[in-house]
Amino acid sequence: MTADILKIENLTLRFGAITASDNISLTVRTGEIHALIGPNGAGKTTLVSQIYGALRPDAGRIIFDGEDISTTTIAARVHKGLARSFQISNVLMEFTVLENAILTCQALSHSAWRFFKPAFTDSQLITAAQAILAPVGLLDRKDRQVSALSHGERRLLELALAMAGSPKLLLLDEPMAGTGPQESRFMTDLIAGFKGNTSILLIEHDMDAVFSLADRLTVLVEGQSIACGTPAEVSADQRVRAAYLGSEEL
Amino acid sequence: MQGAKDYLRQLAVSAPGLWVLIAGFMVLPVYTSFADLPFWNDIAMRIMLLGMASMGLNLVLGFGGMVSFGHAAFIGIGAYCAGIANYYGMDNGWLQLAMALCVCAASGFVIGYLSLRTAGIYFIMITLAFAQMLYFLFVSLEKFGGDDGMATDRSDFILIDLYEPLRLYYLILCALVITGIILSVLVRSRFGVTLQAIKSNPSRVEAMGLVPFKFKMTAYVISAMICGMAGALFTSWQEYVSPDIMHWTRSGELMIIIVLGGLGTLTGPLLGAICFFLLEEFLPEIIAWIAPDYAENWMIIFGPVLIAIVLFARGGLLGACSRLSALARSGGRL
Repeated sequence: MTADILKIENLTLRFGAITASDNISLTVRTGEIHALIGPNGAGKTTLVSQIYGALRPDAGRIIFDGEDISTTTIAARVHKGLARSFQISNVLMEFTVLENAILTCQALSHSAWRFFKPAFTDSQLITAAQAILAPVGLLDRKDRQVSALSHGERRLLELALAMAGSPKLLLLDEPMAGTGPQESRFMTDLIAGFKGNTSILLIEHDMDAVFSLADRLTVLVEGQSIACGTPAEVSADQRVRAAYLGSEEL
Repeated sequence: MQGAKDYLRQLAVSAPGLWVLIAGFMVLPVYTSFADLPFWNDIAMRIMLLGMASMGLNLVLGFGGMVSFGHAAFIGIGAYCAGIANYYGMDNGWLQLAMALCVCAASGFVIGYLSLRTAGIYFIMITLAFAQMLYFLFVSLEKFGGDDGMATDRSDFILIDLYEPLRLYYLILCALVITGIILSVLVRSRFGVTLQAIKSNPSRVEAMGLVPFKFKMTAYVISAMICGMAGALFTSWQEYVSPDIMHWTRSGELMIIIVLGGLGTLTGPLLGAICFFLLEEFLPEIIAWIAPDYAENWMIIFGPVLIAIVLFARGGLLGACSRLSALARSGGRL
């Protein structure tokens, strides 16, 4: 284990005239929860997509667990211990909760290339799948089709799937988006519980959640990282107040 | 032993309709010999062959969500493998079958590798383009009859003399049973459920650390091989092979059969093939009976009937059947 699980150096990505990531450098220390905040359109999701591998940066390097992963595929990054949850729930709607978990378990155990034994009745897989559903409290919903779940339950399922492989770094893109206050609190507690098992880069607009969870924050505005530090440092920063928080008291 | 028994039971339960239809084909010759309707055996063989090819296409179309508009090419390749081998005197049917499977796997790999980089309408067009390319290739092969095709003998399947009555019928049925078993095992396996997950949401499957392309490729090759097997047997059935077998309308026919029967189900394609060809066979007669002057215009009815089934019976005929049986069970309450 290296001291910095993720190290981003001078990352730049342009879409035409827009510079979505403008020379961003950022580190996530091993074991910390690092929040990425900023107004809409600041380039938070774009940054996460580059770390995940869905977008290729124009310049700069991404070093994950001591290895340059800037040009590797998503699959390679996932196998190296990177996991991501998406801004818009990215789950399999036509499958049940348990089937979603089974599919993830078989993929993470490198056993998706088997052609004979039925997957959804495999007791070994079912046990593994239940083990990842239990912590988020979805066990009693396991036979429901995902399309019949509430929005909050889908967010929980996605979180469970992201945690399934015990990733070294979890990229969470607005896990609380669209959830009610109670669900939001439950989710905050869950994420707090992951601390120590994994490092997390968290995008979130819910400032209560951010300030209660994050060890450090990075503030992105218009593709640039304008501040980085502990919540107390960042909330005292005049530039952050001006650019992002406005006059609102924290 | 117990495990194997359980496994077989699960297999049967996963698609009972498919095995009922296959059992129907098994006993059909008994009926046709008593009723003296040998012509029906011929129709049944045609249905089984195109049903088999549709089942193959359904693996990519229904379970994998890839709309391939060029699968007739693989039927054609399989058919020409047998036809050309016969032309050169290599008339061993088993070898021809093996050759058809290998050539279809190879061409499926090449076509799949190139076209699976695209999606949506581009995938449809590029698979169609490959199929047309192969169609015109065979049209240009004057040596093998070009446009007119060539007559050929039934292949020599050692131990099975296809010129004896019903031997070809049961050979085709065996191939259909094997296809049915392979597909029912495959779609429930880890590979099969991953393929269906890719159809549902490829980015979720990527997030699991898998590469959807590889799964799609594998399914594409397997489906090409099934179509090739159907094609090789088609040559023996027709005793004739021509580029017509791989005309683009055949690719469309396979897709209609699948949607008609039930997309993404094990039973659907075979059910669809049965209904499609029975309609094609008997609609002209029915129309001749009602309005004799219009008998040759039967397609004017055939088209709307297909459209109506596809539009109004969600899930095709199989979907309609299961809704009807649910209705009957609930005692007529919706």
